[in-house]
Amino acid sequence: MTSADQPTMIEFKDVHKYYGDYHALRGINGTIKAGEFFSLLGPSGCGKTTLLRTIAGFEDISSGVIMIDGKDMARVAANTRPTNMVFQSYAIFPHMSVAENVGFGLRKDPRSKDEKAAAVAEALEMVGLKGYGKRAAHALSGGQRQRVALARALILKPKVLLLDEPLSALDKKMREHMQVELIKLQRQVGITFILVTHDQEEALVMSDRIAVMFEGEIAQLADPETLYRRPNSKKVADFIGTMNFIPATVLSEAGDKVEVDAKGLGHVTIDAAMAPPAKGESPVVGLRPETLTLLYDDQKAAERETEGVIDEVIYFGDMTYYDVYLGGTDVEVRLSMRNVPGRPVLDVGTKVRVAWSPSALVLFR
Amino acid sequence: MKKGSGLSVYAILYLIFLYAPILILPVFAFNDSQVVAFPLKGFTTQWFGEMWADANLRSALFRSLVIALCTASLATILGLFAARASVRYNFPGKTPAMGLIMLPMVLPDIVIAMALLIVLLSLSVPLSMLTIIMGHVLLCMPFAVAILTSAFQSLDKSLEEAALDLGETRAATFRLIILPLVMPGIIASFLICFTISIDEFVLANFLGSGKPVLSVYIFGQFRFPAKVPSMLALGTILVLFSIILLGFAEYMRRRGIAKAGGKDSGGFL
Amino acid sequence: MAATPSSEVRSGLKLISPPVFYAILMLAAPLATVLIYSVMTGEKGAVSLPLTLDNYYELFTKPIYRALMWRSLMVSFFVTLATVLLAYPVAYFVSFHVNPSRKSLWLFLITIPFWTSYIIRVSLWRTILGYDGILDSVVMGLGLSDTQPNILSNGVLSIIITLAHAYAPFAVLPIFVSLEKVDRSLLEAGQDLGESRWMTFLRVTLPLSLPGVIAAVLIVFIPTVGDYVTPELIGGGRTPMIANLMETQMLKQRDQAMGSAIAVAAMTIVALISIAFVLWNRRFLGGRK
Repeated sequence: MTSADQPTMIEFKDVHKYYGDYHALRGINGTIKAGEFFSLLGPSGCGKTTLLRTIAGFEDISSGVIMIDGKDMARVAANTRPTNMVFQSYAIFPHMSVAENVGFGLRKDPRSKDEKAAAVAEALEMVGLKGYGKRAAHALSGGQRQRVALARALILKPKVLLLDEPLSALDKKMREHMQVELIKLQRQVGITFILVTHDQEEALVMSDRIAVMFEGEIAQLADPETLYRRPNSKKVADFIGTMNFIPATVLSEAGDKVEVDAKGLGHVTIDAAMAPPAKGESPVVGLRPETLTLLYDDQKAAERETEGVIDEVIYFGDMTYYDVYLGGTDVEVRLSMRNVPGRPVLDVGTKVRVAWSPSALVLFR
Repeated sequence: MKKGSGLSVYAILYLIFLYAPILILPVFAFNDSQVVAFPLKGFTTQWFGEMWADANLRSALFRSLVIALCTASLATILGLFAARASVRYNFPGKTPAMGLIMLPMVLPDIVIAMALLIVLLSLSVPLSMLTIIMGHVLLCMPFAVAILTSAFQSLDKSLEEAALDLGETRAATFRLIILPLVMPGIIASFLICFTISIDEFVLANFLGSGKPVLSVYIFGQFRFPAKVPSMLALGTILVLFSIILLGFAEYMRRRGIAKAGGKDSGGFL
Repeated sequence: MAATPSSEVRSGLKLISPPVFYAILMLAAPLATVLIYSVMTGEKGAVSLPLTLDNYYELFTKPIYRALMWRSLMVSFFVTLATVLLAYPVAYFVSFHVNPSRKSLWLFLITIPFWTSYIIRVSLWRTILGYDGILDSVVMGLGLSDTQPNILSNGVLSIIITLAHAYAPFAVLPIFVSLEKVDRSLLEAGQDLGESRWMTFLRVTLPLSLPGVIAAVLIVFIPTVGDYVTPELIGGGRTPMIANLMETQMLKQRDQAMGSAIAVAAMTIVALISIAFVLWNRRFLGGRK
């Protein structure tokens, strides 16, 4: 993937955007590197699409600076920016053929007609639509439209490709297929891809780095693993995957260790790296379900264990989710167990022992 | 098909009621009698000949055609501006502005005619075909706006953005993307305005000079029983013409919506 | 700050200005003139100061004006009643019993007559309803009656028939649109909750389609009050309505002030009735648009 020393492609400096009284972007800062697969992730209305559209130049920003490839974009119109976009609706021109769509941006290209036709054919081949050029655009399926939109944008060799929820209109199978194709395509062309999505799984699968956005702000900008293992706020943790939150009290803080008392778990020492800066909320510790294990028979926990009672069993085929009351408290955690032969699915009410690891705990406060 | 069968009979009867006068037109236009009543006397094309021999009618028709062409062009152009503004942009005063433009749809024609007339008279503007066109444009503009609005609405905004994104200027985007996709709506608007102008009587009557246009001429002729059969012949042709024009307009409108990838949401109104 | 809204506002205003300018010049200004003329003194093709309410005083005291306004309103009332009652079942039929792919065809068929020459259609009713006309000849021919019905001699009735026919499509369309918006699962819910088809219609479909009915009422009522052609052609000038009176005052009497006062008064009355009707129904509809 990309290394940290890649040059910067896009830089945001305190970008604000107002729609009348509505504050859509509230001070965006950050950089996107050349050749990076970057995602803007967040719930609808968080400003991710607005941010993408400010990069494309469809929205002016109210204040701040957007630099693309070292140039301030303030006075640069959408049609002269080195970016191209794949729209959510794909925006395939319905009155043109596939080839006319793909070749649309080449109208003022000085190359000869034959050379342009060759470029179109090449672009179509790249997205797996070889020989589709003569087809009418309105007769294409959703997946094909998306490929045409990709070819149409990539043929202009932009520095940045912007993708606005490109997979949301596809069914689940097709979506998963296209995720892989997009990753391959990005590696092949090597340019910066910026993807807007509300689907955390999609973002985790596809991106080198992700900016999680809430209410017009970037809550966390990190690589997928950091985002998943060390979310910097309860909100981010809750948005990405599932996380158990257990009320806790901070006992002491010394050096790079924080001592807490978590309800049902007891005293735990947490590494400062797993305790992001305080936000002034009442302290909780977070635990991912897959970091918890049920102990069978006389199995021993590697680190710590806590007794509990099963409250709910949700069977998923390959997995079973258990909701467990921890050691005589009303605190419930969800944990996931892989179903393997010879290990029965347990019933509600069964007393169990839950194994957990202090190093998997994140402290939010 | 039990449920609603009573309703379907009613619906057919209703259609017959709607079409009765139109269906009667050709029956008596070809009837060999000056008296427009049953029983029928025999087949003749005499009334069509008589109609065509009428030089006054021919010049009235010519005037109507000129007025309708000008009206349809102007109303459609003004309608394009208004429809584009209302669909694509938000600006203060949009609601009252659109309200004023659409107002002629609910105002009685006679009020529009009288209001325009007293202004024209007080400014000593001579009444002519031009004054009729001025009135007809006002009357047709709401219809043009309604048709063109639906054409613009079925246009995905990201199509424009895509063209800009691919390096085209705003002007080229309008020419290459918007215009071709809205063209069927423009044609439909033109045809509808043309039809309205040809048919319109009140404004044409009061804002015109002494030389009548077609509708005014017909209005006058119906007062003379001897002229009625040839007017029926004329009516037959006009109705046939209107239906062809409307069918074509509807076809263009639907093709426009289909082309822009939208869904059909009803008829003209 | 916010550069986007202002540039959007500027583009919008630039686009809207030609049609608005035209409408102000050709409609707003003339209507304002009518309003001003109506409070002036009119004399043989001219108006003069001072401002006066004499025209309106005369309007409300002279029986002829009241009689014609009343006749116009009555004719409109019956035309509206007839068109809406006749149109509702058709709109219902097209919305609920016509195959979706055929709906536009039906609507098209219903609208076509509206687009064919108004003058010809109105004139035809004259020949249909007139003495020894088509209807009379059919009635006599079939031996249904010994004397000609000669409906045309009843001016008001003929005007109502003609206008009801002319405005029929106007009533069907809005009702159809509101019926189309009725969520079909509501009807199933109604029947699921034990209501009969008829009761479901009365308790679910009809109330939900009332906005369309109200629109239909207004769309038919407002222009028919001011109709000029039908009384002129059908009534042969013997059964004038308010529009004809307006024209007589303006052109034949050349009293533009009085003509203007009639126009203003008529439009005000129609507007008030329309507003009252909407308000009255808003209470019934409970906050729905």
